[in-house]
Amino acid sequence: MPEPILSLQDITCGYGASTVLHGVSLQVAGGEVVGLVGPNGSGKTTLVRVASRALRPAGGTVRVGGLDTYALPAREAARLVAVVPQDLAPAFSFSVLEMVLMGRTPYLSSFGRGGDEDWARTRAAMVATGVQHLADRSVDELSGGERRRVVLAQALAQDAPLMLLDEPTTHLDVRHVLDVLAIVRRLAEREGAAVLAIHHDLNVAAATCDRLVALHRGEVVATGSPEEVVTADLLRGIYGVEADVTTDVSTGRPSVRLAVPSEPVAPLGRRAHVVGGAGRGARIIRMLAEAGYDVSVGVLHASDTDANAAERLNLLRVSVPPFSHVDAEAEDAVRPLMREADLLVVCDAPFGPGNVANLRLALEAAEAGVTTLLLEQVPIGERDFTGGEATALWSQLRRRARSVGTYEEVALEFR
Amino acid sequence: MRPGGRRYRTVIAVLAALLLTSVLIAIAAGSVQISPGTTVRLVAWKLGLAERPDVPVSTEVILFQLRLPRVVLAVVVGLALAIAGTLFQGLFRNPLADPAIVGVSSGAALGAIAVIIAGGGSLLGGLGVSLAAFVGGMVTAFFVYRIARVGPAVNVATLLLAGIAVAAVISAVMSVVMSFAGEEIRSIYFWLLGGLSARGWTAVEVVGPLILLGTAGAVLLIRDLNLVSLGEERAAQLGVDVDRFKWQAVALGALLAGAAVSVSGVIGFVGLMTPHVMRLIVGSDHRRLLPAVLLAGPTFLVLADLVSRVAIAPQELPLGAVTALVGGPFFLFLLRRERERGSARA
Repeated sequence: MPEPILSLQDITCGYGASTVLHGVSLQVAGGEVVGLVGPNGSGKTTLVRVASRALRPAGGTVRVGGLDTYALPAREAARLVAVVPQDLAPAFSFSVLEMVLMGRTPYLSSFGRGGDEDWARTRAAMVATGVQHLADRSVDELSGGERRRVVLAQALAQDAPLMLLDEPTTHLDVRHVLDVLAIVRRLAEREGAAVLAIHHDLNVAAATCDRLVALHRGEVVATGSPEEVVTADLLRGIYGVEADVTTDVSTGRPSVRLAVPSEPVAPLGRRAHVVGGAGRGARIIRMLAEAGYDVSVGVLHASDTDANAAERLNLLRVSVPPFSHVDAEAEDAVRPLMREADLLVVCDAPFGPGNVANLRLALEAAEAGVTTLLLEQVPIGERDFTGGEATALWSQLRRRARSVGTYEEVALEFR
Repeated sequence: MRPGGRRYRTVIAVLAALLLTSVLIAIAAGSVQISPGTTVRLVAWKLGLAERPDVPVSTEVILFQLRLPRVVLAVVVGLALAIAGTLFQGLFRNPLADPAIVGVSSGAALGAIAVIIAGGGSLLGGLGVSLAAFVGGMVTAFFVYRIARVGPAVNVATLLLAGIAVAAVISAVMSVVMSFAGEEIRSIYFWLLGGLSARGWTAVEVVGPLILLGTAGAVLLIRDLNLVSLGEERAAQLGVDVDRFKWQAVALGALLAGAAVSVSGVIGFVGLMTPHVMRLIVGSDHRRLLPAVLLAGPTFLVLADLVSRVAIAPQELPLGAVTALVGGPFFLFLLRRERERGSARA
């Protein structure tokens, strides 16, 4: 690894008697965009303030480009570190051009009006952030999104090798979020700058950062690629939430979907078994669980959406490896679950040679007298990949079970 | 620097013309009227640029010994108060801050009153009172600053509160001291309400250089004043040594206000209103604000002093009362109008 631009070693820091950071170490190399994530109060902002020379740490070292910024005059430090704060509320109003030009302060003398270089940098920063048409407007007339971009332009004009951003995308609409993140990415790629950004939105962090650092209670609890850091376990551990972490199909990065926490329900003392697959069962599984059923699922392919949903709810589940066939062992495991269920729900999942055994087992259970529901939003003909076997089993099942077409009907059946 | 500066240049030209006109009117008005033409010709003669105009010697004496020193003193005191107000408003990022805020005015008043009551009113040809006032103002400002300082950092909110508290204590001490006053009470009273009468050239010679020095220092702080208005932490991120800036701003503001108060007594509203009104006209950028304040402060005080002199002539009104009487209602009107505009925009 090349010499990092930002290097924080064993940073201990606090306000008054309370210690906020307990020995945090962090490096950011040139060209790298690192995201800082963690719950409120985990020390993210404190760490960025330490890195930005605003808060001298009680212990540890801060190096930017190999130099201790706290030992440098403010002016020289400002040539090394640019900061994008959450927002600025100037007590007095300035024009956009004046604001952006202030980013050149560390290069100007007391009376300097700025040389060609300063004006060129200022103009480039305004073009990059798309605020050049606002040059003569007063900052206090701008919308929140415009003002954020002006502040970003101010920091870009500083032309520093390290850029620190404190939640650069909060309060911005989707379009501006994308713009800002693209600007930051270009800064790292073209100028070779090191970027450290606090992110509240884990999806934004995972999608736009090369590396993530997760803080919890003032300590680094995970660091690495977004895939390594954004996991259901980590989210449960530091945020105390249950979430689905899947791979975003368009970016290949982890994507977080939070489960809305539901009221704890009184157990009904009844068990339902769900035959699902390819996500067709996820909603039914949740509805049953929320209705107070003890739910079991299977047989599913591991990593299937329904399997993830069941895993998240910590349900009893029978699964086989992806793309493999339901084998005798799985059949033996799931048979009693179906036979002894108070309610068996067969979802309109696609059935192929790998999982058609589920229909055969469900039919056995239905014939043995288990109350069975068939969800039929998608006709069996469109999801039979067995060459007819699934369709035949499905029509036999239909004679033993109630067919329902909507989730509302399913819900009625639960009562 | 800013494109479209034509309007700004017009504003500055108008302010300069207003200052010149006020000075000429202030010189002209009084029991003996001196026309602007005569004034200009006499000054030109004094500077060796023209022949002596054919006017009585008494006119010459009144101009050079009475009117001119008084008007020039009004100019420098107005300058000092307005620039000090601009510095403090910038430092505290509060448009309602004024030169009295770090206790300079009350400290100066206490110093002056103590000397007057101790019978030192005529010490050093009357300059003893001024010296005591200046020392009192600076010592108070330094004390307030030390209270608010923790390590190298000064919390401006603490500075503000410490200034208010110290000023309140000093007022109480003044009340106690004044209860020992006999016939001096009238001169104390006049001093507390401010005035520029019968100071002569000596006052100008003593405080003029201090005030010009302080003004030059303020000009050097323009860039930092702009940056600090974004917040101290932001200013530091953009390369301002904020602790040094605060020290400099307080020192210069105290120097300017202390110098002014030492010769004129306590004159309110100039330091509060001038920067505020100029900000409404030319905006908040201190590069544009400071030159405007530099012209408007003296104009305000020259006109106020003129009113104090001629309103109930041959009696004089206290200058501080005039600035408050004229400035107060006008200030309220502005605040009201700003609020209405603000709500119309929202």
